[in-house]
Amino acid sequence: MTEIEVKSLDFYYNGDARALQNISLPIYKNKVTALIGPSGCGKTTLLRCFNRMHDLYPKHRYEGEIHFQEKNILANGVDLINLRSRIGMVFQKPTPFPMSVAENIAYGLRLKGIRNKSELIGRIEEALKHAALWTEVRDKMNESAYELSGGQQQRLVIARALAVEPEVLLFDEPTSALDPISTAKIEELVVSLKKDVTIIIVTHNMQQAARVSDMTGFLYMGELIEYGTTEKIFTNPDNKQTDDYITGRFG
Amino acid sequence: MNIEKKRKIESVIALTLSGFAATIGLFWLVYILSDVLIHGLGALHISLFFNDPAPAGAEGGGLRNAFVGQLMITFAATLMGVPVGILGGTFLAEYARGKKFARIISIISDIMVSVPSIVIGAFIYAMLVRPLHHFSGWAGAFALSIIMIPVVLRTTEDMLSLVPWTLREAAFALGAPYYKVIIQVVYRGAATGILTGVLLSIARVAGETAPLLFTSFNNNFFSTDMNRPIASLTVTIFQYAMGPYKSWHEQAWGAALVVTLFILVLTIAGRLILKWRYRR
Repeated sequence: MTEIEVKSLDFYYNGDARALQNISLPIYKNKVTALIGPSGCGKTTLLRCFNRMHDLYPKHRYEGEIHFQEKNILANGVDLINLRSRIGMVFQKPTPFPMSVAENIAYGLRLKGIRNKSELIGRIEEALKHAALWTEVRDKMNESAYELSGGQQQRLVIARALAVEPEVLLFDEPTSALDPISTAKIEELVVSLKKDVTIIIVTHNMQQAARVSDMTGFLYMGELIEYGTTEKIFTNPDNKQTDDYITGRFG
Repeated sequence: MNIEKKRKIESVIALTLSGFAATIGLFWLVYILSDVLIHGLGALHISLFFNDPAPAGAEGGGLRNAFVGQLMITFAATLMGVPVGILGGTFLAEYARGKKFARIISIISDIMVSVPSIVIGAFIYAMLVRPLHHFSGWAGAFALSIIMIPVVLRTTEDMLSLVPWTLREAAFALGAPYYKVIIQVVYRGAATGILTGVLLSIARVAGETAPLLFTSFNNNFFSTDMNRPIASLTVTIFQYAMGPYKSWHEQAWGAALVVTLFILVLTIAGRLILKWRYRR
């Protein structure tokens, strides 16, 4: 089932520098879709279109359409606050807020209007369990989130995003700042989460894409060169450039 | 003479000169502080804080009126200046980030910080004292708040700019509107820095005399009416130090010591908070 359908998407930085060109692809529900490609190919740019993060910068411009559950989210008048609570995002570097572990999770819940204390406590625990962090932080709920290790901070941020029960979760190179053990935990988590949410993950680590994703899109110079099941892209790609990239001949 | 020897001699000369300059600077600083301490300590009686001034020339009495007046003026100035400064700094660092006019306001604030305070006193005199035909505590507080605003505004702007942009993006990505991102996330990240700016701005105005001479003037009697002239420590020091009586001189020393200690404590607290916050 298709959750998101990208239709002939172009994207321009500062009005005229085209960063994405004629991108079309479906994102399937409850699958992990990986976006790979060399630096500057536009994979992060594409990812940030899904929650309209580019709207924070006035001169950036989209052309084309992205349909999320049949509705064009690039249309004028889309409620970005609502959109972003349904499509969450996890960044390259962990971004815990300057507050306690519990308050970090409560932040998104309060934005959604949840004020009841016992409900907050329940949802915080649930989110931390969901992100496989509960056993490590259950005694540190009131400590600053900055006291946690990098990998724990990243799982805290994932828990924060999960707490508001999004339908889609965007990951922007979530392990590039982490050590191998933390990376393995995050990857395991990504795979286990897909039964609840649709996941799109940008990575420059091809082994990671192969390990966690069901579908893979290869971008190069702002264009989607090839899109298909991860198995096909990594074993028998149709395109020569894709083959060169995944076998390490460039990029 | 070979070049190495020449360099060594030059180095010794430069070291001697700069060391000498530093000693001159430090000598006067230590001299002033110790002088204030020696003379001031003798005048520090309980009565200084709890008695009102005795009739001119008579022994005894205290400066309760000046302590209370100083606190009221400073407090009112803080209440007026700090919110304007913080909100202005927030506007520059957040809503007008990267805009040309934000840069211009920033530069003007830097200039405002170094405008002689007597100019601001004269300005408020023309704006608030002349039209109303009387000096008042409010006019004094207003003048001090104008001195505080650029200090608080620039520190707030700098401290907010230090909060990583990705932290704001993370809050936006959860569906937070911008004002909530600023109040709940950015302010928390910059809180200690902003607090330091506020403390330093209070320290900056607590020692001002010139703007008060034009605005709150002075009052030899105890008064808490901010609509009338009100006493302040700095103006009292000025008046008493210039006056003919020995008891006035003593009390001026005592007041000078209290003002100096107050500013010293605020400044040191400000620095310590910053140091503690950014150590990690």
